[in-house]
Amino acid sequence: MELPSYFIADLPRDTHLTESLLGEACRALKRNRAAHLATRPTSELVAFLAALGANWLKPDFPFRRMALEQGPGQTGFSAATIARGLDAFFSELTAENINALLVQEVGHVARLDKFVPEPVANTSPRRAALARGPELIVHVAAGNLPAPALAGMVFGLLVRAAQFVKCASGAAFFPRLFAHSIYAADPKLGSCIELAEWPGGNTALEQALFSHADCVTATGSDEAIAAIRQLVPGHARFVGYGHRVSFGYIAAEALNRASASQLAALAAADVAAWDQLGCLSPHVFYVETGGEFGPDAFAEMLAAELDRIEKLEPRGMLPAEAVAQIASRRAFYEVRAANLPDTRLWSSPSSTAWTVVYEADPQFQLSCLHRFVYVKQVRELAEALRGAESVRGKVSTVGIAAPAPRAHQIAAELAAWGVTRICPIGRMQRPPLLWRHDGRPALADLVLWTDWELE
Amino acid sequence: MTAEFNQLVHRVRDFIARAAARMRAAAYAVERDYAEFDEQFNALACELFGLQFVQNKVYRRFCEARGIGRNVISDWRRIPAMPTTAFKDFDVTCLPPAQWTAVFFSSGTTGQRPSRHFHSPASLSLYEASLLPWFVRHVLPESISALANAGSAIAAVTAHAGRWRLFILAPTRADAPCSSLVYMFDTVRREFGSAESEFFGRTTPDGGWRLEVKAVVAALRDAAESGRAVVLLGTAFAFVELLDYMAQTGFTCQLPPGSRVLETGGYKGRTRSVPKSELYGMISSRLGVPNTHIVSEYGMCELGSQAYDAVAGRHGGSGANAMRGPGDGNAVGRVFQFPPWVRVQVVSPETGEEVTEGATGLVRVFDLANAYSVLAVQTEDLAVRRGTGFELLGRARGADLRGCSLLQVP
Repeated sequence: MELPSYFIADLPRDTHLTESLLGEACRALKRNRAAHLATRPTSELVAFLAALGANWLKPDFPFRRMALEQGPGQTGFSAATIARGLDAFFSELTAENINALLVQEVGHVARLDKFVPEPVANTSPRRAALARGPELIVHVAAGNLPAPALAGMVFGLLVRAAQFVKCASGAAFFPRLFAHSIYAADPKLGSCIELAEWPGGNTALEQALFSHADCVTATGSDEAIAAIRQLVPGHARFVGYGHRVSFGYIAAEALNRASASQLAALAAADVAAWDQLGCLSPHVFYVETGGEFGPDAFAEMLAAELDRIEKLEPRGMLPAEAVAQIASRRAFYEVRAANLPDTRLWSSPSSTAWTVVYEADPQFQLSCLHRFVYVKQVRELAEALRGAESVRGKVSTVGIAAPAPRAHQIAAELAAWGVTRICPIGRMQRPPLLWRHDGRPALADLVLWTDWELE
Repeated sequence: MTAEFNQLVHRVRDFIARAAARMRAAAYAVERDYAEFDEQFNALACELFGLQFVQNKVYRRFCEARGIGRNVISDWRRIPAMPTTAFKDFDVTCLPPAQWTAVFFSSGTTGQRPSRHFHSPASLSLYEASLLPWFVRHVLPESISALANAGSAIAAVTAHAGRWRLFILAPTRADAPCSSLVYMFDTVRREFGSAESEFFGRTTPDGGWRLEVKAVVAALRDAAESGRAVVLLGTAFAFVELLDYMAQTGFTCQLPPGSRVLETGGYKGRTRSVPKSELYGMISSRLGVPNTHIVSEYGMCELGSQAYDAVAGRHGGSGANAMRGPGDGNAVGRVFQFPPWVRVQVVSPETGEEVTEGATGLVRVFDLANAYSVLAVQTEDLAVRRGTGFELLGRARGADLRGCSLLQVP
């Protein structure tokens, strides 16, 4: 299958992008939005997105096939990793979930279409409210994973905004396929989306682009977010998502004979998903001592599961620099493990496909990723949180395994410490559609309200 | 050290001396001479491995964890290579602590624990025996004859004859006693420096190096007027500091013909890093030293020997394999060569096996001058395999772990 040349990102790589070209594209987007999107009922958009999500789950859907065939070469992920990642994302894109998202974010499924009375009775005055999306959202999409960019496009459609997706250099593959799948299913909706790719930091182009937007979203490193924020004009809303890290926490009670190997399999799935490159991917699993299995035994089980996954869902090909980083870090721990009793190392033979480092030291350690994970021993949650103090405020997700009463207590402590998402181990890289990204509302961050006091 | 160990070191020194003598021959070519020394190198390396296995506890445990015993190696290529990062974590040495009289630290970035390489008088003597002939061959080829009579370099260089005015853009040995680079510069100064040679670096309270730029500029002025060739030695960082200052003040000079620059990589994360071609361009335009007289050194505190990528004043690298056609003298694409008592492999980080010619991998060094620590060292440097040498690409920085997490040495 050949993609038609429709978006800027479809043009040859050496196409010279100018400020006037971007301006023209933005004006066209706004015209198309006014004609084809601004008055669409939300229910139609929900049905459209749900149908699209269902199609992306079908093995013979041409865009999915293209993603699996060309994705490995374009993105460095193996086809199996891409398939699992796409399934995780699109299985969430159901009418039920989208309607639930609307209720969660704006209080009612029709709130974006018309004034809907506030649900609380007996307030005076009685009020109704309508939520309106921006005219044009510019998304600045970081390179690593497709899910944030695709979710941003879904949210943008739901709030009936025209959208310009600016992808990092070499990172347009998935957003481009997704945009083409929208265009193929409904060219009018597709005409409200534009997509381009250039290396970040082109201040002139970015400033020109942002001047047309009334909302700019961005994902990327904290430095990149800060730089982009500087370029966003005062009238536009800025929604930035900086870099986050995640870890797992396993209570001693969860490490029993009945559940330990299953838990290791779930933990390995969290590490393997998108080759560990997302903000939701675990760098470290903190494991409590005192269970039927010790933390080092869990590390060994995790290694066995990563080895099993590698056979089904191999890690992607890496550039020499990334492989060298893994090799060098492994070598460091190899010497340690040979000389110190409280360090152990498991790694894929004759490759850098996966690595597990067990350390008694609870200090949080950033992984070099690509399926390189630490298991660290702690006596209690407080010890893990002290160890993770260096990343406090930068933690997105903590995957936990603990029986119910303790899970409540652990969740409360994690929330007080500043964690924005807690989920079972095995679901770290599968956030629900309703997920509040970095603790912020999903749609509600994009809209403006009109309140109507009825009497 | 055991008598057996001392005897082996003696044989290593003898090997270095014979190879150095061979180098003085007019028709020396690295590739051919490496081959000539292959058998001796292999015998010494395998024997040395056996003794280091016994003497170096950290290394022995590392080998044993890989299932490698003391007497199983008959090919130097199979000797397990100790990662350079292990020098940060452990005392990687064959020397008992009572014999430690010097220690070289790597220049890590702030918050990182540096590598430590312990030395005794005997190991420093071996270090000098390795560094001098290869340094002279590449930086001061006119003085090769001064290194006549293997092993007695000192006696051969008579006062003022064959001596060079050295501008060393680094602190003195007294000021920076733990720098292997400063030790090397000081040794070179002692052997080949004229009385006017000078160190222009100072250490700062945080352990960094600062350059007395005004003093350097004054000395450069003087040198330009004197008409006698000078040698500038320093880190890339120091040259950037000097050249930035010269750019700010608008000062340029034309150093006398035959003047040369020895630059050694590394910016230590402290200042802007400059691509090599740009650095060479600035050196040429601001100091009047052409690319053909700029030599880069590849060395580290974990190694007893160094590699160079050119012979000052000669096109191409140090051997026939490094002749690269019309681009000769360019900053990019140059090939580093170690001396014949060192072998280098470029290994795939994925599999650990040697890559094919022209492919990229990590530099692994087998250095007989590391007799007192560990001869096989796995670096974090990415390079392209080129014949018996390598073209350096950069550092992998894979083990740049936060310093606070690094354990104390047991």
